[in-house]
Amino acid sequence: MSKENKIKSMYIHIPFCDTICSYCDFCKMFYNEKLVDRYLDALKEEILENYRGEVLDTLYIGGGTPSSLSASQLKKLFCVLSSIKLNKECEFTMEVTIDSLTHEKIDILKENGVNRVSIGVQTINEKFFKFLNRKTDKDKLIEDINYLKSVQIDNINLDLMYALKDETIEDVLNDLDFFISLDVKHISTYSLILEENTMLYINKYSLIDSNIDRKMYDVICKKLKQNGYIHYEVSNFSKEGYLSKHNMTYWNNDRYYGFGLGSSGYINNIRYTNTRSINSYIHKKFRYLEEVIDSKSDMENEIMLNLRTARGLSKEKFCEKFNKDILALFDIKFLIDDNILIDDGKFLRVSDQYFYVLNNILVKIFANANC
Amino acid sequence: MENIRNFSIIAHIDHGKSTLADRILELTGAVSKRESKEQMLDSMDIERERGITIKLNAVCLKYTYKDKQYTLHLIDTPGHVDFSYEVSRSLAACEGAILVVDASQGIEAQTLANLYLAMENDLTIIPVINKIDLPGADIDKVKRELIDTLGFSDDEIILTSAKTGVGIDKLLEAIILRIKPPKGDKEKKLQALIFDSYFDPYRGVVILIRIVNGTLRVQDKIKLMKTGATYQVVDVGVMRPKEEKRQALEAGDVGFITAAIKDISDIKVGDTITLDGDECDFALSGYKPMKSMVFCGLFPVEANKFEDLREALNKLKLNDASLLFEPETSKALGFGFRCGFLGLLHMEIIEERIEREFGIDIIATSPSVIYEVHLTDESVIEVDSPSKLPDRQRIKMIKEPFIKTNIFTPSEYIGPIMDLCQEKRGIYSSMDYIDPTRVNIHYELPLSEIVYDFFDKLKSYTKGYASFDYELIGNRESDLVKMDILLNGDVVDALSTIVHKDFAYQRGKLIVENLKELIPRQLFEVPIQASIGNKVVARTDIKALRKDVLAKCYGGDITRKRKLLEKQKEGKKRMKRVGSIEIPQEAFLAVLSMDSGKENK
Repeated sequence: MSKENKIKSMYIHIPFCDTICSYCDFCKMFYNEKLVDRYLDALKEEILENYRGEVLDTLYIGGGTPSSLSASQLKKLFCVLSSIKLNKECEFTMEVTIDSLTHEKIDILKENGVNRVSIGVQTINEKFFKFLNRKTDKDKLIEDINYLKSVQIDNINLDLMYALKDETIEDVLNDLDFFISLDVKHISTYSLILEENTMLYINKYSLIDSNIDRKMYDVICKKLKQNGYIHYEVSNFSKEGYLSKHNMTYWNNDRYYGFGLGSSGYINNIRYTNTRSINSYIHKKFRYLEEVIDSKSDMENEIMLNLRTARGLSKEKFCEKFNKDILALFDIKFLIDDNILIDDGKFLRVSDQYFYVLNNILVKIFANANC
Repeated sequence: MENIRNFSIIAHIDHGKSTLADRILELTGAVSKRESKEQMLDSMDIERERGITIKLNAVCLKYTYKDKQYTLHLIDTPGHVDFSYEVSRSLAACEGAILVVDASQGIEAQTLANLYLAMENDLTIIPVINKIDLPGADIDKVKRELIDTLGFSDDEIILTSAKTGVGIDKLLEAIILRIKPPKGDKEKKLQALIFDSYFDPYRGVVILIRIVNGTLRVQDKIKLMKTGATYQVVDVGVMRPKEEKRQALEAGDVGFITAAIKDISDIKVGDTITLDGDECDFALSGYKPMKSMVFCGLFPVEANKFEDLREALNKLKLNDASLLFEPETSKALGFGFRCGFLGLLHMEIIEERIEREFGIDIIATSPSVIYEVHLTDESVIEVDSPSKLPDRQRIKMIKEPFIKTNIFTPSEYIGPIMDLCQEKRGIYSSMDYIDPTRVNIHYELPLSEIVYDFFDKLKSYTKGYASFDYELIGNRESDLVKMDILLNGDVVDALSTIVHKDFAYQRGKLIVENLKELIPRQLFEVPIQASIGNKVVARTDIKALRKDVLAKCYGGDITRKRKLLEKQKEGKKRMKRVGSIEIPQEAFLAVLSMDSGKENK
């Protein structure tokens, strides 16, 4: 197995939630005590069947709401994961919500090696709670962050969502100021999107004007930069040295395991997605579809993913992988001439002001393939 | 030969010509009711979908009348004004024509045009009032129109319903009794008129012919009199409507031949076939070539499809002599062809056939007519493309083709039609009342105005009741200028047009507004300008794209993300990149629609 194909990351999906957010299209369901137990048994089975004993650099437990599990169920989860070998420096993240988090649960995380938490806050502005069908108690958020820091889990991410219903630039700035005051290492920002099979979609909600959306994005980028955050990926910001290693696995087009309901993984030359049916899953029918990644798809993935980062795409790595210079394979000189793409010799990256129209640029690149 | 009848059916579009042909086929046993699909003779998909006949079709039928067996050759014809050339070709192979008029619509513009063509060819005409079963049928009124306007007598007129089959036997009787058998002598030297041809990938060119004199047998060595090419005949036969092979075709027969002809340029419609070594004395008179009226540029979306496009045009030209093309280069669109058509419908059909039958994505530029340009050095040139128009300093004057209209309409729409014609720089000429409620309006209009949206507007102004036909009446001087369109400061040559000076501002404004609607937002703001010489007459901007990104990456679900991009990529397929700007195909026809997008109903 070549160095590139080596698996160093793993994603674990916990689909349970106490409440269902109006915008959420992730694989999720209402928390149910008995189902959690059966789910964890199936998860153990899936890991056993597929995991080949690699020592991992990153492990990420996402959801759903992993922290919706009870303290004893969390212990069981970590027991299920105990067979997984982790590097000493391993970045071990779990997603949590303030609603479901307790000191007891934080202690369990700490005991089991979790060294990074990602808190789905989205907004602390009460006027959006109903619209999003979720809430975050501001005071508890402050208190929980203090406790996390006190047990040396100081690598904390906050999710910020913007472009909400009738939201103003002022609203965004208020949320942002509060987030900054919490002095966390990492902030992810997402503008509200409308996905099928969500409450918002069913209620025929229509998104705010893309001009306002863009203005908010520009304001966020500027403000976070002023406060010492590095804009290292389209929607991710971090303090120096704290970029999310796990997410960088995705953007680098590297291999990773994905276990759990509805999760995705990339092993050898196959990208797979698990079933979203809990019934199939607990009956050990894990895989839903598999896609063999041929050279052309791999090339497109390499471009699509790497260009999401501020660093950009390594031309050298691309050439090694596909035996040809990217500029020979794609006729994209016009994008460089228009300063949309920047070629510094080693990396090819998207110029800052075009990050937010990345899809348009990607499609242009793909449409001008010579291969 | 006494027992042969050659005839065609002529009608205004939608008056039931193809259905009538179907019924005749059925009654003569050429197809059983079970086999018959709607519009048997319209073999192209486009023909069936649009409910129109474009190409000729010849079919051989057997019918027994009073214990004598007759051979009937039915040659179907197109109804649209653009294809009157095809009509004249089929009429030249016939002795008679059935003139079909819809019992509820009455005489329409093309009824008249086709009737005159048939009379020029000295054919026996059988007037038929069709669709008499419809609730809106007014047989007496239509009869009176046929008698008063076209000069038929009451007892000549046959009443039919192609749908129910009523009157078809009477019609067949009339064909046998009234239409003369073909003249000619099977013992004379071979003279056969080519009236159509098409390409078959297995057998080469299939030629449809009418034998005027002599006999043509399998294995005969034939000579094409115009091109001088010689071939040995492989197959001869008739269409019934499926091909039926014969050993020979004789004077009076209509049928097909194949001779392993690969070089399609050897076969010219209207040419005469004779025997090599036993040639006849003179070629048949053939057809007067139709002049192309409308020109536009056709460019492949993908540059490497240029040769494929040439091949496609060559194949289409084989049975469509009226299609003209020559290579053209555009700075914006690369290599393509300047093509000449009989009219707008003809242009649309050819474009559609290239895309469907040959699978080539093409971009069509806005249509133009032929301008007669008088230069200061006293020479005169013909210009069929705005890009070929010389510098203004070198032009003394420009003449453009004018037409005279026949617009048949219920009299309540006279007002709106006159407004429309006025708006299109029309000059009123006269008006004929067919009866107190129906009128034929004559205007003189520049052809270039018809090329745009005249026909659509006429239909919408009159709720579809008016019908329209025209004849050319020559070139006239007009105050014309070339208008360029600039995107991001650069002239896009494929968007230039020739316009009347008085209408330039108005048209410029509409074109830039239409383009703004049609061109999607780009990565940066793009100004659109319309200019005459160096003077900008209209301008607007396409705003920059502000957001097009996927923020979330669903726990590493890359596949789903790529699928979304694939979808976006599909939408891009029909775009042409000019510099850094992506322009959709439709934008090149933006000058066509003279209403802004929003006003369209």
